[in-house]
Amino acid sequence: MSTLLRASELVKMPVVTHGGEDVAQIKDIVYAAHGGHVEAFTLAGRGLFAGPLKTALPWARVAGLGKSAVVIESEDDLVPLEEALAATAQDGPGRGDVLNSQVLTDQGTALGTVSDVVIGILGDPASSQADVVGYEILPAETMNRGKQRLLIPLPDTIAASGEHLMVPASASNYLTDDLAQFGSAVDAFRAQLGGRV
Amino acid sequence: MRFSEATGRKVVSTADASTVGTISGFVVDPATKKVVAVALGKTSGQGTMLPFGSIAAFGTDAVTVASADAVVAPDDRLTELSAKQHTILKKRALTTAGDEVGTVRDVEFDPTDGSLVSIQLDDHTWNGQGLVGAGSYAVMLRP
Repeated sequence: MSTLLRASELVKMPVVTHGGEDVAQIKDIVYAAHGGHVEAFTLAGRGLFAGPLKTALPWARVAGLGKSAVVIESEDDLVPLEEALAATAQDGPGRGDVLNSQVLTDQGTALGTVSDVVIGILGDPASSQADVVGYEILPAETMNRGKQRLLIPLPDTIAASGEHLMVPASASNYLTDDLAQFGSAVDAFRAQLGGRV
Repeated sequence: MRFSEATGRKVVSTADASTVGTISGFVVDPATKKVVAVALGKTSGQGTMLPFGSIAAFGTDAVTVASADAVVAPDDRLTELSAKQHTILKKRALTTAGDEVGTVRDVEFDPTDGSLVSIQLDDHTWNGQGLVGAGSYAVMLRP
């Protein structure tokens, strides 16, 4: 079973135990420093006046992740926030804040701006990674694609600053040279994502 | 038998043929996936719980017990399991994979030992043995 989710769909999702209690909700996603995968989730309390929690949920403790909730076995799976953040060395090119970054190829062509991160989970969450498999971008005007959001499948680790996201020029080949193939890749992504355009 | 069919059924003592109460609810233990007790209304004494093991027969027209003494006050475990946040009916149902699958409408149980047979959701049924937990947010079901 493989699941593709937008990062924005994860935020505010309830964290539910096997006992059926909602103990928290997802506040933000902590990406691993170098690899393109999810390391942990920071949490906020449930309810109107609840603020951020001092606990976090490491990816390794996630028992299930679906369209409606993140499932854990019990509240004991939550760890202190510092512990979860310490696991990700915050040096080197981070991926922390890629939203609204401009996507540039290493040849210097702007493809658009990042509007969402696509996370893919292959197999059982308990034994797999949550990889960053691509980005949803708002295409640059020069792309002549109008306002329709595109999904770029990105299998490899790439460099990111708060400003720019560098992708291999081959990514733009997807966009320019091989429209049919890219189109079907996007279609396949969209079909799996449930068709939000 | 379904919760909806059994609710309201009379509980009769075989010792003196008196009605000791009527079924008002069911207490389910997700750990054993069984109905562990029946909650009674209209009882004569202080007791409100009938442990499933005390039931002599779960008949089609009435439930029989050996004597009115079978009806007891809930112990700590039963009190906790029968609290509103642990009941099953009318709750949102989530799979342990994190997908919402509907709302629990009814539960079918085996009248001989109380084991859960199936859980009726809005438009489909779930194996009763797939119950993992029941909390204030949702009833958790194993896919």
